[in-house]
Parts: sequence; structure tokens; C-alpha cells
Amino acid sequence: MRKRKVFALLAMVAALSLVAAACGGDEEGGETAATGGGETAATGATATGGAVDCEADPFGCVEVPAGQPIQLASLLSISGDTAFLGTDSNHGVELAIDYLDGTFDATPGQVLGHDVTLQQEDDGCSAEGGQAGATALAANPDIVAVIGTSCSSSALGVADTILGDKGILLFSPSNTNPGLTSEEAHQPFYGRTAHNDKIQGAIVAEYVLNELGLTTAATINDESPYADGLAAAFRVNFEAGGGTITSIEQVSSSDTDLGPVFTNIAADEPQVVYGPNFNPVCGLSYTQGSDIMPEGTVQIGSDGCLESSFLDSVGDPIGGHDYYASSPDVTAFQDGAFFNDEYLPAYTEQYGEPTSVFNAHAFDAANVVFDAIEAVAVDDGSGNLTISRTALKDAVFATSGYEGLTGTITCTPLGDCATDVTIGIFKYNNWPVEGGVDPTDPVYSATKTLADVL
Amino acid sequence: MATRTDGPARGAQLGRFERVPWRRVILLLLAILIAAVAVIGAYKTLTLPADERYTASTWKDFIVLGIAQGAIIALIALGYTLVYGILRMINFAHGEVFMFGAFAAYFFSSAWEESGFLDSNPWLSMAILFAIAMLVSMTVAILLERIAYRPLRNAPRLVPLITAIGASLVLQNTARGFFGAQSRGFGVPAALEGTWTIFGLELDRIQVLVIITVVLAVAGLSLFVARTKTGKSMRAVAADTEIASLMGIRVDRVIVTTFAIGGLLAGIAAILFSITFESVNFTMGVRPGIAAFTAAVLGGIGSISGAALGGVLLGLLQSLGPALILTGYEIPSAFQLKDAFTFLVLVLVLIFRPGGLLGSDEAEKV
Amino acid sequence: MDGVPTGSVIRSGVIGGLVAIYIALVGLYTKFADLALVGEQVTLGRVLIVAPALITAYAVTRPRVVAGERRAATLRQGLAIGALAGLITGAVFGAAVAFAEWFGVERIREVFVAVTEPLIDFLTFGMGVPAGLLVLAGWCVVGGLVGGFARTAPLALRRPASVGIVAVILFGLLQRIVPIVFVELGYEADWLYSPITKGLTWLGGLFVFALAAGADILWRRSGDGTRDRIRTGVYERPAARIGFLVVLLAVLAVLPLLLGTVISEVLGQVMIYVLLGLGLNIVVGYAGLLDLGYVAFFAFGAYATGLLTGAMLNTTTGAAEPAISADLNFYAAVWIVMLLAAGVGLLIGAPVLRLRGDYLAIVTLGLGEIVSVITASKWAQPLIGGPQGMRGVSKAEIFGLNPQDHPQDFYYLALAFVLFALFVSWRLAASRVGRAWTAMREDEQVADAMGVSTIKYKLLAFAMGGAIGSLGGALFAVSLGSLTPASFEFLVSITALAVVILGGLGSLPGVVVGALVLIGLPGLLREFEEYRQLIYGGALVAIMILRPQGLIPNVRRSRELKEEEVTQDAWARDGTGEIEAVAAVLPGGALGVEEEDLE
Repeated sequence: MRKRKVFALLAMVAALSLVAAACGGDEEGGETAATGGGETAATGATATGGAVDCEADPFGCVEVPAGQPIQLASLLSISGDTAFLGTDSNHGVELAIDYLDGTFDATPGQVLGHDVTLQQEDDGCSAEGGQAGATALAANPDIVAVIGTSCSSSALGVADTILGDKGILLFSPSNTNPGLTSEEAHQPFYGRTAHNDKIQGAIVAEYVLNELGLTTAATINDESPYADGLAAAFRVNFEAGGGTITSIEQVSSSDTDLGPVFTNIAADEPQVVYGPNFNPVCGLSYTQGSDIMPEGTVQIGSDGCLESSFLDSVGDPIGGHDYYASSPDVTAFQDGAFFNDEYLPAYTEQYGEPTSVFNAHAFDAANVVFDAIEAVAVDDGSGNLTISRTALKDAVFATSGYEGLTGTITCTPLGDCATDVTIGIFKYNNWPVEGGVDPTDPVYSATKTLADVL
Repeated sequence: MATRTDGPARGAQLGRFERVPWRRVILLLLAILIAAVAVIGAYKTLTLPADERYTASTWKDFIVLGIAQGAIIALIALGYTLVYGILRMINFAHGEVFMFGAFAAYFFSSAWEESGFLDSNPWLSMAILFAIAMLVSMTVAILLERIAYRPLRNAPRLVPLITAIGASLVLQNTARGFFGAQSRGFGVPAALEGTWTIFGLELDRIQVLVIITVVLAVAGLSLFVARTKTGKSMRAVAADTEIASLMGIRVDRVIVTTFAIGGLLAGIAAILFSITFESVNFTMGVRPGIAAFTAAVLGGIGSISGAALGGVLLGLLQSLGPALILTGYEIPSAFQLKDAFTFLVLVLVLIFRPGGLLGSDEAEKV
Repeated sequence: MDGVPTGSVIRSGVIGGLVAIYIALVGLYTKFADLALVGEQVTLGRVLIVAPALITAYAVTRPRVVAGERRAATLRQGLAIGALAGLITGAVFGAAVAFAEWFGVERIREVFVAVTEPLIDFLTFGMGVPAGLLVLAGWCVVGGLVGGFARTAPLALRRPASVGIVAVILFGLLQRIVPIVFVELGYEADWLYSPITKGLTWLGGLFVFALAAGADILWRRSGDGTRDRIRTGVYERPAARIGFLVVLLAVLAVLPLLLGTVISEVLGQVMIYVLLGLGLNIVVGYAGLLDLGYVAFFAFGAYATGLLTGAMLNTTTGAAEPAISADLNFYAAVWIVMLLAAGVGLLIGAPVLRLRGDYLAIVTLGLGEIVSVITASKWAQPLIGGPQGMRGVSKAEIFGLNPQDHPQDFYYLALAFVLFALFVSWRLAASRVGRAWTAMREDEQVADAMGVSTIKYKLLAFAMGGAIGSLGGALFAVSLGSLTPASFEFLVSITALAVVILGGLGSLPGVVVGALVLIGLPGLLREFEEYRQLIYGGALVAIMILRPQGLIPNVRRSRELKEEEVTQDAWARDGTGEIEAVAAVLPGGALGVEEEDLE
């Protein structure tokens, strides 16, 4: 009795799996045919034109069969407290795909007659998150390139190596840590359209010394590598320009009571307190710093502060205590025309107010990659593409004089593509984020190249 | 600090060598070492070249900041001490009770800041804010007791502690889901900005308000525990739960009352904290919570005056300690280490005087 | 419906409604509204709409003891009670939605950020108030019916059905992972997972359901005979036991080849936490010393490995040599790291030996925090890189394996370490030392009086625990190759503790299961990242209240806890009946203890 039931059940399971297999088989068959076609075509192309030699590329090629999409991926911070950064950059990439057909109309365009899909992974804004996300992306042999990461700690020594080992280009719209593109640490498949913080630090130092005419400064940074790196870049340039650093402080990111630290800073009477922090430390240091530092002390933050939550947590500017923040100068982007008349309205219509300035960098990054694909992909004549990984990387790194939203993009061999960086200094609360007071013109704007700074 | 193993009866049977109370010797050496490090550090700081030395006014600032911060910590510490005194459990989620009070008040203060009510009626609005924060914190504390702790009343001691850690995570992330992850600015009435000069000292109005409120709250609580019937039953339950229940005291009710009072005090602390730092967010309870627990242990857990003393000492320690001791050793960014400093002191207190400054050494017993 | 406590049904229904409101306010519906599980219609958000009613109904239809007699509801009763509870849940939930709509979504949103128009749309199935509320209540009733069914239907029916549904939901959730694995291994996944919705296709859902339900039926059927034979065989006959181990090892050895890099990577992370769990288990589970600062050993292991194997400090200009460093082979360094960590364990342990349990917990918490603060500090920057951290930790290459770059190779390395730690833990538990720990844990004074040197054994526990925890840190360093202070937070201590407690204090299989659940699942379901801490916290509370002995209890330990439970139950009878209400959520309350105790 029991046996018979078992048998019936087995039969049922078997039948079901057969059905499943049949259906799967159908599609699989189709797929195999398509891929097969791709492969023959590729061989054909090699045979006739000799354009792609996948054997010679240690990382091989990506095959995109006719009718199949080109798979782009993003590895950005899309959950947790830094989600505003990653989702914003994802929107930039999506807009780039949208604009492939020459218009922002919410319908995606194509590259070489292929749709482009975007696989979104989370970098978690941490090394572990970068590892998990990069491993997932590295496992997919069809990924052409990755736009990411949001946070430098996800990339440095983690995602840049994992993806680099597979020959997958990692192109970041918002990593600014100088270490990533340093001689010692740079990974061959890593590049970025975000500025190098060396430049941001240098421009702020120049502004303080030359425009404000102040010569003593203290730095205070939270525990993030970003804040620590930027503060260091500022100090080097400030001291080189003849300024004096009175104290170097660091606070825990979860600390609320900054009173004693500021009392300690105030004891040395600096004219400027530079605190390139993330929120909430950024907001807390403005309110508490203003309370403790004597009137007239200038406080300066960075793009980590340029968030609506800073405005919300601080409220009105505090009398007698000017606050500035540096950031890529949005108003300088392409003299504003395309950015202001087309890109920004399209962004706002599709996603609401931008939550950071890096969506423009993401837009540029995606476009540079698309141009590179168009340059190196070989079409066998029937729509099957073959993209050599090394050639793609080389094409991206060969980008020169590309007019992007964020300025002219020329890649260095170490992957810094934003060589001409325009940084603006904004005065609170005239800020280029949601809730800021219009118009958002910077009080100072300067353009520097990597060669100009220390 | 007596240990059983080095008692005389046992020592007599063992060799001479074993009779030396090694643990005590090591601890004593450790104590001397730490004291020496602290004294030398302080000496070095105070004898720095004149241009690097802190001025008297800087020291005054450190002290005032420390006392004001310590006073708030003391209020939270009272919540730990009360609960510990009665249940012998560490209510790890007390910092979150505090955080919920602050958030509740924030929504009113920000609305009133926009409507102008906050500036036009500063004292009335502050009074209502206190009431709201106290009410919400009390409710959270009572719910916490009911859901997370009561089912474990007779469980081994570590079980409710683990539950409390879990509850703390749940409450924190609930607040994050409910109210969002970003920091919010807490509105302060214009009447509280600026300074008052008292006895020739120029003090921030908020600092004065903080200190006065805390003194009143501690005095009120002491009176309540000493004089009222509920206070007496609280003491009875703290002394011996079983006998108290035999004497007709409704233990459950006393426990709920204790949590409620702890919540009320946390609510007061929440407002004081929020107007001091003008900011609320979902993790704001973590650091003050741990600091308050440290303060309670420092002063002698279970003792009300101990918690108050411990809070103020801890505030001073956090504000003065790094400047006084670490600066002398030229340690960079000394204030970043203030939490490490706090914990070090906690560890030392527990090792050398487990009963705390005002407590008895009874706590050491297993 | 005789014998059905109407009051209890209403109360449970209301609680179910409140839970649904909580889920809405905390943002889970908003986040998962569009996460398709099967087809286009079955989204995780919708499952979450049905879930509170389902669980409520399941809890409220539990067998009750009336006048000393255990009464289970019949199927008809179960369905009726379930539907009623579901209806009440739906009514409460619906009323809240209607209130939000009436009061003004924007105004509520000023406080509760998750309350948005799209949320209301979602909860009313796009039909708005009031039409959508009927649909909402209707689905809650369906949930109630399913819950009642799951409790009262014949075992042969409900068990495969439940297993099947859980499997479908799980595979639906694994939509990011399974297709990648399929692609990586060269299979076609489009029939199983839709490329458009990303979730399972209807065919895929049906397939998974049939597979899981079928497997369950087969297992149950073969059950009584075969299962028992397997069990007794493995337990009693040494040869069978060895055979079982060999099969297990063989399976573990080929696993990464079958599962691809992504799952191997997640398994690698799981094994790091198995190591942390095993180390902490010695301290907490064996010796009964609650350590809340275990991250200290993790950080120590990781940074020491970095320093000993020639890692460089990250700086803004590139790299710098640490103040102290060596360039050893990883396999030489790891022994030194363990030895040093054992020393650190002694150093931490020595001064705090005499402290009572909860004080010890706080002191260790403090020590853990000190380590966290120091890893990020400017003070220690010349040694370990401060906020910028270190990179270039040894790749631990061995036998042609490259664990840092290849997740599958890392899996083997981690597996070797885990087996080593498991072996050590297992031998320790069975040894004289293990018995001394047990004695000490149960009653320190008695143990002391019986001549067990508690000081010695406590120190030993700290040293052993520290050494194994540092092994986890060493592996972590190898796996990432790069260390930043953000990886060494208090949450690590809590996670390790949760792993040990979820699995069952003192239970070695428990640690493995705990790590699989708490690290493996979130690793695969990274969509839940934001809710990870909420889930950990909830798990800690729920386990301590419902099943303090853990998922896979340690035999001896569960006996102790059971004695405590008796006193708890006595208290609960006098008091509120809380235990009864919460214990009902688990099938049959805290089962599993009795079975184990028979051995």
C-alpha cells in the first residue's frame, strides 16, 4: 500500500520534472543555437578581419549574441545609511542608458543595436560588502563592465582586485580616496570619473590661504577613510602654502559630545577648522564648534556634508560662524547648458531631486564605457558582438578630451579620469542639495589637474 | 577581595610559595603602574611649555562641559541602578528607552519651531516637551519589561541580559525604520540660547538648566524612595524579593513601577541631551547608555547617590581625562580615545572595587 | 466551536493586526512591495501581508490543555478559528490603513517615514479605500485559513504542503543567487527564474514546490524504518559512524564545485563565523563566561595576521610600511597569531576572573570597545593604518590553491580550519577539562569545593576561546586581503553570540547551524541587509524566551535549562500565562529536549 503511494508520487515528481526539463530544454535549445551562432561568427570575424584575438587576451572576450543585451553592472551602496549615494549614482547610469538614443525619454537606447541591461549589486559601503558584491559579479561571465563602487573602502584592495583578476573593468563615479590610484595600490582594471581628493584638499587649502587670507587651521575628522584622507590632503597643501596646522583631531563616528574636542582645538586658537566629515558628525561639529570656537572662526566641510540631512539637523546658519563646504562644482558642468536644460530636468522628472552630485559622474562613467564598447566591439555582420576585455579596458584608459557633464575627461594610466577637476566652495546655506537656498552658485570655484597638487 | 583559595587553612597545607596571594600582588602592581602612568601624564601636561599649556579658562571649559554632560549621564544611570537594584539585571536597552523619548519630543519641537510657539512660550513648550518625552520613554520601558523581561523573571542571570541586548537592537532598528536613518535637528527655544553669569562664572543657559534639572530629579527620586510607600516597597523588593512578596508586597507591580520611573528619568535626560546637542538620531542611545551603565557601576550599582556621583565623575573623566593625562604623552587625537579611557576606568573599578565608590563589596559574591 | 476560547482568538487577532501595522511602519512593505517571488503577482510584500494572519491563526489553533486533557482542534474548527483570527487581524490592519488615509498620509509621514501614498496603494491593492480594504481583509482571512490548516490538517497533508511553500518562498528569495550559479555552471535558468520579474516563473514555482514536497514525503515515508536505522547506526556502530563521516567529508569536498563561486564565497563567510562561534562557545557555552567583547580576538587575529604576513598600511599617497611587521608565510604566521591570541586571552581573563557573570559581560564589552576604538585611532595609525586600514594580507597560497582570489579555494582553507576547531572543541568537551568547565558553569562554589581549580579553567577557557576566535580573524584577513576598522564593530561580538545562542549553547552542530542561518541566509539575501540587525535582535529575544536551549541543543546543557524552565513555568502559572502564549508559536512548544534526554 505504502509502496504504491510512493511510486505514484515518484511518478508525479518525475512527470513534473520532465515537463520542466522539456520547457527548459526548449529555451535552452534556442539559447544554445544563438550562442553557437555567436561563437561561429566570432571565429568567422577573426578569420576574415582578424579584429579580435580572444586567445591573446588573457582575460578572454565577452560574447553578446544578436538580440541579447549587453550586460552592464553597478556595484554601489544601495542599502543602509549611504543608500542616498548609490541609488543616486544608479540613476545616473540609468539616464545614460536612456540617453543612448539621444533623448531623455525614459525609453532605453541601444549600443551597436543591442539593449543594455544593468545588474545592480550592493557594495554595502564596506570591504565585506564590496567583496560579496564583486564576487557575485565576477561569477557572471557576461558582465562587460562594472560601474562602482560608491565607497572607497569597498574598492581598495577588495572589489578592484576581485574584478581585476577576471579582467572586468571597475569604473567608479564616487571613489575619491587618493590611495586607489596611487602608484603602489592601483589595480590595472580600476578607473574613476570621480575627482581625486588630493585635488579637493588642495583647492580648499588654496581658498583658505589666498581667498580668505587665513593661515592657521585645525583639522577634525571622523573615523571614515574618506574624512581621514581628505583632511590629510588638506594639511599637506595647507602647510606647503605657508599655513600652520594647530591641531589634528579625530573623533568616533558615533560620538555626539564634541564639546571637549572643540575646547581642545580652541585652546590653540586656529582661524579655520577643517572637518571634511560625513553626517551626523558634520552637523554636530558645526553646531558645537560654533558654540565653543570664538566668533569669526571659519568652519569648512566637504561633499560628505552636502546632504539634505545636514540642513535638517543644523537649521539656520549660526550668526558669526561662517560655514563652507567644498564639492565638485555642479554649475561649472559643461557651462551648465546641457546639464541644466536637459540632464537635470530629466533626472528630476524621473527620480525626484538628486541626493548627491555624483549622479553626473555616474552618467559620464557609463558613457565613457559605452564609447569604449563601440570602439572595440567587433560585429560579425549578423549582430553578434565580441568584446575583448583588455581592449575594452585599454579603450577606456585611452579616453582623452571627452566632454562629459562633469568636465573634460582624460584618463591617466593610473585610472584617474577626472584630471581637470573643478571644485566649488559653497557657503551655508546656499547649497546645491534639496532644501538649499537658490541660487546655488559657489562663492569660489577653481580648476586643477592632478599635476598641480601634492 | 578575599579569595577562598588563599585562605590560611589551605595555605598551611601548601608550600610557602603558594601562600603568597599572587593575584593580589599582581593586581596591586597593576594598580601602581596605572596610577603612575596617570600621575606622570598629568605632570607632563601641566609642565608643558607655557605656549602649549592649557589656560585656566580652557580648564574651566573642560570642567563645565564635563559636569553638564555627566549630569545627563547620571539621570540615565539612575534608570540602570534602579532596575539593577531590584531585578539584579542590566537593562541593556535602557539607552533605547532614552532615544525614543528624544524622538517623540523632536516631532513636537520641530513643529513648534516652525509655528513660532517654541520661541513665544519657551517655558510652557519646554514643560510639555518634558512631559511628552517622559511619557513615551516610560511607555517604552514598561512595554520592554512586559514583552522581553517578564517571561524570563526566573531564568538564569545571563538569559535576560542576552534578551536585553536583542531588545536593544530591535528598538534601535525599529526607530530607524519608523523615523529614518538621518539625524534631525532638535529645536531649542531662543530664550535658552546665550549665557547667564552666575557667581562670576559665565555659563551656557542650557548647561544651567541641565544641572538644575538633574539636581531636582535626583533629590525628588531620593525623597520618593525614602519616604513614599511605593518607595519603601521598592527597597523591600530590592532587599529580598521572596520575603517582600510574603509580606504582601506585589512584586510585579513594584517592578513595573521601577521600570516606569527609570523611563521617566530617561525621558528627562532625553530632553536635556537633545537641547544640549540639538540633534537626534536612532543610534543616539548607544553611547550615553553604555556611559550611564559605566557611571552606575562606578558609583556603586544599586545606589542612587552613587549613580549621580558616578555620572558626574564620568563626565569629568571623559572631558578632562584625555586632556590631562594623554596630552602629556603627546598622543595624537587624544579625545578620540575617550571611550577607551572610559571603559578602562570601568574595568579598573570592577577589578579593584566591584562594589563601586559608594557601594559595598558585596557585589563580588557569586 | 465549543472549547474555543473566543477571548484568546480576539486577543491574538488584534496582536496579529498590530504586528502587520509594525511591519508597515518599519518599512518592510515599502521595501519589498515589488520583490517578485513567483510570477508577477506573488511578491514578498504580499506574502508579508498574509503572514501576520497566518502566524496568528497557527498560534491560536494550537492544542490546549483543558482540565488536564490535551485537546487538539479538528480541521473544521481549525479553519473556522483561523478564519476568525485572520478576519480580526485584517480588520485591525484595515482600520489602521483607513485611519492613515483619513488623517492624511503626508501628515503621518512627517513622523513615520515609511507611510507613503504608494504604501497605501500597495496595501489596498491599488483599489483605494474602502474597496481595497475588503481585499486586504480577504487576504488576511486566507492567511488565517492557511494558518489553521497548517496546524490542524492531517500530518501527511500539511507537512509536505508547508515544506513546499517554505521552499518556494526561499527559492523565490534566492533569485539573485540561483540564476548566477546556473549561469556559472553553464545551465539555463530562464525556465526557473523569469528574466523580467527576476522571481520564479509559475512553472519554476510549481517545480520547486513539487520537488520539496516530494522530498519531504519520501523522507517521511521511508522514515520510521530507514531513518531510525540511519540514526541508530550512526550513533551506535563505529563503522557506520566512520562511513557517515567519510560521506559527509566527501560531500563537503565537492560542494563548492557544485555550487559555484558565489555560494562558496558565502559559505566561506559562514565558516569564519563558525570559527568565531566555536571559540565563543568554549567561553560561553562550555565555561559559562559571557563574553560580549569577542570582537577583540577577531580584530587581533586579523590585524596580527596582516602584520605578520607583510601587509602594507594604506595611506593617501599609496602605501607605508607598518611600524612593526614581518613577512612570514601565512601557515607559519597563523600559529604565532593563535599563540599570541591565547596570551591576550590570558591577559584579559586574569584580572576579571573573580567577577560575577553580568559584570564580566560588561567588562568584556568594554575591552571589546577599547579594541574597536584603537583599530580606528590616530594613535595606532603607524602600526595598523587607522581609518585607512591595511591591504596586501598574504594570499595564503598552498598546493596551488589561492584562497584570497578564488572563493572556492578559500572554502577549502576555511573548511580545514573549521574541522580543526571542531575537532579541538569536541575533544575538549569530552575531556577532563570539559567536565571541569561543566562543573564550574553549573555551580562555581561547589566546583571549587570539589577541588576544581576554577581560576585555571577559566583562564584556559579564555585562552582557548581567544585562540580559536583569532583563527577566525586570520581567515577573515586572508579572505578580504584588506582590513579596515569598520569591520571590527560591536556587532561582530553580538553576531558571534547570536550564532552560539541560536544553535544552542555548548552545541557544536548548533554553532554550524547558527552560522548557516545567521550568516549564510543574510549573505544570500543581501536585500535584507538593512533589516539584518533587527532580525538578529529579534532572534536573540525570541530564542531566549521561546527556546533557550537553541535549535540543536547540547544534551547536558538542555537538561540544566529544563530544570530552570520548570521554575519558570511555575512562575508563569502564577502570573500571566505569558509562557503559554509565546511558546505556542513553535510547534509543540519547546520540543526536542525530551528526545535528546533519552540518550
